[in-house]
Amino acid sequence: MSAFFDILLGGVFHAAVLFLVAAGLQLIFGVQKIVNLACGSFYALGAYFGVSAVAFAVSVGAPAYLFLPILLVAGLALGVIGPPIEALLRTVYRRDEAFQLLLTFALVLMFQDILRFFFGANPQQLGDMVMLYGTLSAGTVLVPTYNALVIVASIAIAFGLGAFLKRTRFGRILRATAENREMSQAVGVNVGRVYATVFTLGTVLGTVGGALVVPTAAASLDMPVELVVEAFAVVVIGGLGSMRGALIGALIVGMMRALAIRYYAELEMLAIYVVVIAVLIARPAGLFGRPVE
Amino acid sequence: MQSSRRKVLKAVTGAGAMLAAQPYLSLPAFAQAGPLRIGIITPKSGIAGTIGECGLRGCQFAVERINAGGGIAGRKVELIVEEETNPKDSIERLRKLVLQDKVDCVQGVISSGVSLAMGPAAEEMKALTIFWDGTTQDGVNETMPHPHYVFRSTDNECEAVMASLLVVKHWKGQFKTVAGINPDYSYGRNNFAAFQALLKKFGVQHEVVADQWPKVGTTDLTSHVAALKAAKPDLVFSSLLFADLPIFMRTAHGAGLMDGRTKFAFPAAGFQHTALKKSFTPEGMIFGHNTLYFDLPNASPLQKQFVQEYEAKYKDYPHWEADRAYFAMQVYKAGVEAAYKAKNAWPSQDDIIGAMEGVKIESLGGPGQMRKDHIAEQTFYQGITTHKNRYDFPTLGQIDTMYSDQLQKPPGADFWKWIETAQIKL
Repeated sequence: MSAFFDILLGGVFHAAVLFLVAAGLQLIFGVQKIVNLACGSFYALGAYFGVSAVAFAVSVGAPAYLFLPILLVAGLALGVIGPPIEALLRTVYRRDEAFQLLLTFALVLMFQDILRFFFGANPQQLGDMVMLYGTLSAGTVLVPTYNALVIVASIAIAFGLGAFLKRTRFGRILRATAENREMSQAVGVNVGRVYATVFTLGTVLGTVGGALVVPTAAASLDMPVELVVEAFAVVVIGGLGSMRGALIGALIVGMMRALAIRYYAELEMLAIYVVVIAVLIARPAGLFGRPVE
Repeated sequence: MQSSRRKVLKAVTGAGAMLAAQPYLSLPAFAQAGPLRIGIITPKSGIAGTIGECGLRGCQFAVERINAGGGIAGRKVELIVEEETNPKDSIERLRKLVLQDKVDCVQGVISSGVSLAMGPAAEEMKALTIFWDGTTQDGVNETMPHPHYVFRSTDNECEAVMASLLVVKHWKGQFKTVAGINPDYSYGRNNFAAFQALLKKFGVQHEVVADQWPKVGTTDLTSHVAALKAAKPDLVFSSLLFADLPIFMRTAHGAGLMDGRTKFAFPAAGFQHTALKKSFTPEGMIFGHNTLYFDLPNASPLQKQFVQEYEAKYKDYPHWEADRAYFAMQVYKAGVEAAYKAKNAWPSQDDIIGAMEGVKIESLGGPGQMRKDHIAEQTFYQGITTHKNRYDFPTLGQIDTMYSDQLQKPPGADFWKWIETAQIKL
């Protein structure tokens, strides 16, 4: 039983981080209809910036146990890069999807060099800081408290995002814009502002995800690609543009990965993509996506 | 007045240079014309970036010493550094170094994947090349059994062989079930296979209850650790060696895998030694430091000087890649100078290659030599970790030293057959 919970927690922790990146991807596609390959770069940026922010805060006397709020603030602060990048993407909104993909792919490559330039080429870690929060135990099941906090934070963000989209006035405007851009514009919605806000929100989801994961992992230049491959599996499984799909898709991918690692370690990616193919055959729009009419 | 002072200065400088170069004054004019150009190919970014950086520092230390001592056979050494990335691009950089920069020798390379592709390319270009690390093996099979221009480091499996021997020496009879978590490429696969082959050779009954193969660059090892924990192994053997090793250690500690019931052997832990903090890296593990253990109590004055300078300059402690790079440069130096002495004139590349075969040198980590089949022999260090030191990471409490002739197959032998038949002293 203990082994089952260990594997479950491993899968859910991976899903929690994956959800944040996939949610950013979904939000941006849902409203702006752009497949943002650079979502992984935002994730990496959050991780690097998080390490630097914590190191700086500790060097000026902040207690080390405050690293979690510092990471959150660092991830949120990176939202400032959202508006200028969105302004760049405006040049391709009405062009072929291939241009959009090329531009966001160019951003991936540019961000890789930017990260290398500012943070150096070597993977960066926060040492043993994650251990400051101790471990939760139930019998023989042990979970680092920090991992549990990341899972809780991710769930809170998922519900907060859902409430924001459904219950707030801006959320309704946002959904209306996603539904019909021209009509929204005709009734006076400032679509440019909505796009900039949505892109910033999508960016922040990625940067917060990266900042939150770094105490348990490492900030490295390989991060963007590593996660984007799985984030796209989440999107296909959950349905492009669906937030609920991002949540369920992330859980499916996280659990499939954890189970594959336990029972057939070599089949980690295969197990995930078997589900992707099955969903594509049975429900081409994804579990929660709407079929194209 | 100014002009005459300049003349005096020129004369003094010239006289100084002549004195420094006195042993080599009979060199042909052309040979003395310029510095020796050494091309270095090493990763400066990505997951192997820290390793390449440490190697480069060891190389620069060697060059500073060589140049301070008058150079190699009277010629100063100049480095041209290129980035090691994927095999294709790295070969392009080799081509650039050889054809455009016209380097006298190429050194470097960490990745087996790159050296595997670069070896034949260097042979084709007739470029004298000395690999720091990686090998030109496909798995454990030589892809170039009789290279002429290429020299390579010790077999990658040396550290796994030594760690396995230490497991048998220290823990035989104390474990029944084993698990592995090793990088998912030939290095990790061969290491775990070698470990099992050596257990069998020494009659250690065991059952493999889990084998994990995380891809290089994986940064979330929570599920891998959960799988290991579920298998309840008595001993875990792991040749993780990049940034994933501290992540594994931290994750395993947090999950309770390091509660003292399981033994651990990490043959390549030295690459990450300073990142493995005491708070999550217990004592009593087998750690491999390969060919340079920075805290060796009876280290040579050379090693002590290097470690001191490294610490002062970089606020860090070196690992074995620095030694590999130093070794490569010294082997080249010894080869050139031996060939020069024999010929009493600047030697050809073939003369240098001939002189490098069998040459013995003192490297940072201890004695080493280049075998006649162009494979290095060096001194290896591993042992059991302790927290009793002045650092925030474990060092070795009990140190075992072995020369690589006990750890790698002899010239021309098959690795697996050698394991079966070798007379290895524990």
